[in-house]
Amino acid sequence: MAELNVLGFHAGNSVLHQLDVRFKLLFLVVISLSSLNAFIPSLVLLTLVLMVVLKHARLPLKMALKDLRYVLLLLLFVFMARSLSVLGSPVVEFKGVTVTREGLYEGAIVCWRLVIVIMTGLSFVLTTRSSEIKAAVEWMLKPFPFIPAKRIAIMMSLVVRFIPIIFEQAKKTMEAQRVRGVENRKNPVYRLKMFSIPLMRRIFERADKLVLAMEARCYSENRTDFSLSSGVKDWIALAGVVCLCLIIIT
Amino acid sequence: MNIIEIENLSHRFADGTVGLENINLSILKGTFVVIAGRNGSGKTTLLKHLNGLLLPTKGVVTLFGRSVAKNLTWSRQMVGMVFQDADSQIVGETVSDDVAFGPENLCLDRTEVNRRVSLALETVGLHHHKDQKPHLLSGGEKRRLAIAGILAMEPKVLIFDEPFSSLDYPGVKEVLAQMISLHQVGHTIIVAAHDLEKLIAHTDRLVIMEKGGIVRDDLPSHLLGDLEVFGIREPCASRLGMEVHSWLN
Repeated sequence: MAELNVLGFHAGNSVLHQLDVRFKLLFLVVISLSSLNAFIPSLVLLTLVLMVVLKHARLPLKMALKDLRYVLLLLLFVFMARSLSVLGSPVVEFKGVTVTREGLYEGAIVCWRLVIVIMTGLSFVLTTRSSEIKAAVEWMLKPFPFIPAKRIAIMMSLVVRFIPIIFEQAKKTMEAQRVRGVENRKNPVYRLKMFSIPLMRRIFERADKLVLAMEARCYSENRTDFSLSSGVKDWIALAGVVCLCLIIIT
Repeated sequence: MNIIEIENLSHRFADGTVGLENINLSILKGTFVVIAGRNGSGKTTLLKHLNGLLLPTKGVVTLFGRSVAKNLTWSRQMVGMVFQDADSQIVGETVSDDVAFGPENLCLDRTEVNRRVSLALETVGLHHHKDQKPHLLSGGEKRRLAIAGILAMEPKVLIFDEPFSSLDYPGVKEVLAQMISLHQVGHTIIVAAHDLEKLIAHTDRLVIMEKGGIVRDDLPSHLLGDLEVFGIREPCASRLGMEVHSWLN
């Protein structure tokens, strides 16, 4: 279970931990959008800034990246697709398939940008409690009259709370089936059926237990929410992020 | 003074299965009561009626003279429940977040929530773990965290459902010591268990359940000889004709 939670909140006292969640959400959006327009010098600058911030926040990056290893496969796929599809001067030619210099360059740039987006998102997730995100969502939805902001925010925070449980149940179900030799069955439909039915049953049972535990502790929509407050630190950080983004896009 | 009164309580599940049948029980303030019985005898079903997680099909459960069914939120605040599976009870991202969950549900102001969290964590000795992820705690620590989670709601009655299941020896000792110290400071303790070995030395009263009903209700020392008839193992010392001692000695 422990390793499945590495992508959740990690307590700390860094500036990143102390910033108002609304500002952090804004930074996440702005930095991600700016990085999509960045090239090598800007990407180097962004990477350096991110590394300093992440190092300061003392986040378990190695463990988090281990959990994100499947994203690396996606990046590899993107890199290969770019390398093979962009026209230019050939570097390798094999049976009609050409890898171009321009393709390699573009593939590397796109992957670098995606890594920046992922790392920015990771620093947000690792330094922000789900209760803070819930409060921020509620705050952002408040101006819209026909949207039940509180209910949406609660549903979102419950989903976040339940994700590690789903992973845990999937792992247990998989292990239980492996010890009974499910890997000898080659039919993927059979394996999917035998995996998904008990998994769904377990998930619903756990959800029932969670609901009971929450009811036993008087859970309701009306509760003491995380109180959002911004200060000088947030505005200074905003100025810094705006400057950084201006440098990147110009 | 009776803190809990149960009169003619019966419960039928949606599929018609009888969960409880005509239960009558009064529990004195400050007592340490163990409800024992084999699996499926109705122990957990009975406990869930004490804080309104289940409502009676027939009969009444009252707490300080007030109906549980009519005062659900208040009852759940007064009667804290530690579940058999501590993992399923943990909802917070850090130890202190989890303890704060109950007081936040009571709409207390942030200062009061923080005060209660600190106090509860100090009581169970988990203050130094306050920023840790709950799932990284040991079994005994998780159970103590669950206790802290309900202590922060300042209940009068604490219910434990099979508190020692899947705990190692140090874990059992940690949780047992916690339960005893909570009893000593005046909490009413009600424990559901099928194994009396660890509890019997500290119990004021033993209630035995069978097929949804109460079949024995007396001092533990008076019931030791009857236990095995109802699928409950007699404590080792008692089987050997010796005096039963605490697991903490």
